[in-house]
Amino acid sequence: MRILLMGHPNVGKSVVFNRITGANVTESNYPGTTVDYEKGYVRIGHEEMEVIDVPGTFSLEPKDKAEEVAVKMLERNKDSVVVCIIDSTKIERGLYLALEIIERGSRVVVALNMWDIAEDKNINIDVEKLRQILGVPVVPTIAVSGEGIKELVSRISGATSVKIESVMKNVGGS
Amino acid sequence: MEKKLSEMKYGAQGIVKSIKGDLRNKVAGMGIRVNKRIRMATKQPIKGPVVVTVDESNISLGLGIAENIIVEVEK
Amino acid sequence: MKLSVDERWDIIDKISKETVKFGEYRHTLKDALAEITVKPLTGIPIAIAVLYGFWSFFGAFAGFFTDGFLVKLFDGHWLPWLQDVFPGGLGNWFYSIMVDAGHMESGVLVAADNCFESFGVLTSGLFVAIGVVLPAIIAFYLFLIILEDSGYLPRLAVLIDTVFHKIGLHGFAVVPMILSLGCNVPAVTATRNLETKKQRFMMMTLLAIFIPCGAQLGIMLDVIPEYVGFVMLYLFLGFFVFGFILNELIPGKSPEMILDVPPYHMPTGRNVGRKLWARLRGFFTVAIPFVLLGVVFVNVLYLVGVIDWLANVFEPVLVGWFGVPKETTAPLVAAFMRKDLAVGQLMGIQEQLGMVAFNTYQLVTSVVLVSLYFPCIATVAMIIKEGMQDRGKGVITFLLGSLAVLMAVVFIWGGLLHLIWIILGVA
Ligand SMILES: Nc1nc2c(ncn2[C@@H]2O[C@H](COP(=O)(O)OP(=O)(O)OP(=O)(O)O)[C@@H](O)[C@H]2O)c(=O)[nH]1
Ligand SMILES: [Mg+2]
Repeated sequence: MRILLMGHPNVGKSVVFNRITGANVTESNYPGTTVDYEKGYVRIGHEEMEVIDVPGTFSLEPKDKAEEVAVKMLERNKDSVVVCIIDSTKIERGLYLALEIIERGSRVVVALNMWDIAEDKNINIDVEKLRQILGVPVVPTIAVSGEGIKELVSRISGATSVKIESVMKNVGGS
Repeated sequence: MEKKLSEMKYGAQGIVKSIKGDLRNKVAGMGIRVNKRIRMATKQPIKGPVVVTVDESNISLGLGIAENIIVEVEK
Repeated sequence: MKLSVDERWDIIDKISKETVKFGEYRHTLKDALAEITVKPLTGIPIAIAVLYGFWSFFGAFAGFFTDGFLVKLFDGHWLPWLQDVFPGGLGNWFYSIMVDAGHMESGVLVAADNCFESFGVLTSGLFVAIGVVLPAIIAFYLFLIILEDSGYLPRLAVLIDTVFHKIGLHGFAVVPMILSLGCNVPAVTATRNLETKKQRFMMMTLLAIFIPCGAQLGIMLDVIPEYVGFVMLYLFLGFFVFGFILNELIPGKSPEMILDVPPYHMPTGRNVGRKLWARLRGFFTVAIPFVLLGVVFVNVLYLVGVIDWLANVFEPVLVGWFGVPKETTAPLVAAFMRKDLAVGQLMGIQEQLGMVAFNTYQLVTSVVLVSLYFPCIATVAMIIKEGMQDRGKGVITFLLGSLAVLMAVVFIWGGLLHLIWIILGVA
């Protein structure tokens, strides 16, 4: 099975990738560091899984070559699990891409990365509630220190594909 | 008062009223959208780009792009 | 089901209302720094200071190790020792490839007394790679990595956008440009952050032609310290002049910048160390073998007479148009493999020919020619790969286009420098 690490540029996908595969791809603090996909492997249970660090993209409507690579990657791997990495301090726009990916029918796990910075900025996110509304696993992470990464990996097998209608119902119904 | 984003003064704030054409889709993923509060963080001289703040994000837009975003500016 | 942009945002607003609370947030030093580095009034002077600091650090660090220590080691101990113990001796073909080919002085073959002149694999090859280039790229990457990890680059992009905008690119082109000052190869890939085929073609072509890599910068700093500033200025100016022309000539769109500007982070020692190590490993495993191979390659061509033949063929162009001696042919050949090696070799040739036959202005011209005239083989390979990615079958047009630009630049920009020297009365 394949795992795609997707998300906006500069949210920490490559840091997460290096953490879970032991690889050494470049991490930098500017959008567009990773412009081509990178492969690595992780063992979950008895299964060896391929992990792909996908270039960052703001939406599924690519505006440059690097984003094109990302969108093509998703289209070619409809049956893979997408770990959608969100910058917790910019959760709203992060959810935009997450919803787009959910709409396409992929199995999704959401990582709320940069949790440390969100705490510094006094941004409080109700993780449990978010999980209920989205209907997919949601895990807070601090990729640079490794916090939450183990938990994230353990949730990958629990990734589910949900209907956007059910998200709409969950959010309307409370 | 409604203004083009490109004409907003440094420091001014407002609510996005409309975004022209397919720019709407292009900037949606960055958090710029209709009914969102937007602040002019800096403007570069000689028709340079602007930097706007939306939520916690700073986004730089070329002036020609900023022209296509209409904002209801607060006094 | 797929939602429209507005429907999607509607749901997000609801989700956010139910799950996120934005607490009181006090602005910190980081936010203040973020502001002053991007506002034009303060940002532009700061940008100039940062870039100047970059340049000074680079020069000081590299100079300290190269001039203060490694030159003495290589010229004072390593070279004489090898000349002493290496089997063969002057005139022997293997000795001349590995250690020192010697040169003619009033009809007698004499040994070299420094590692630029000797041009052997173990002498010039190792000296250029380790004695000159290694300290330079350590300094360069150290500073670059701190720029990358702090989050300064996108701000530089905002400040410089206006300039790039004039040539149909935009501020974010500064990222491939700065990466290119380290090595052109990853910079070619980084052009993927530009929106259109036109922009990517322009950027790849201009980078490969005009931007010298860190290795070349390092050796230029050692060989022509007083003129390296001028050379850089001349190359950057060429970048924008030809960028302007290309923008007029090439059809296609030039969209403006849409760039997310991230908050500053403190670079972590761990990541800086890891990235520096990764880049140095690349240098040891790829660059150094190429330098050494380059020396072998050129020496073999010398021995079989190809260099002399080429020199005679190109003499009219080199001497007539560019105003440099025909002996610069060998470095121009070496530049296919490595530009740093080529510049080092130019220095050796000047020492052999003497200042009268090959003066400093001619040396500057030939250094500029080495930069302009053809990208190193690794960059060419990368451009072909990216070109295929970007254009599919159109790659041939893409490459021929690049080549045409290259030829025009070499003749116009290289020839212009000769003209400048003539006008100044120094050629
Ligand atoms: N404080 C903090 N910083 C983080 C965290 N995760 C990543 N970073 C930093 O964020 C920056 C971006 O990380 P990358 O992994 O390069 O981002 P990316 O998502 O791969 O970005 P692209 O390759 O450009 O799409 C780096 O400077 C990281 O050190 C986190 O959880 N907390
Ligand atoms: Mg990355």
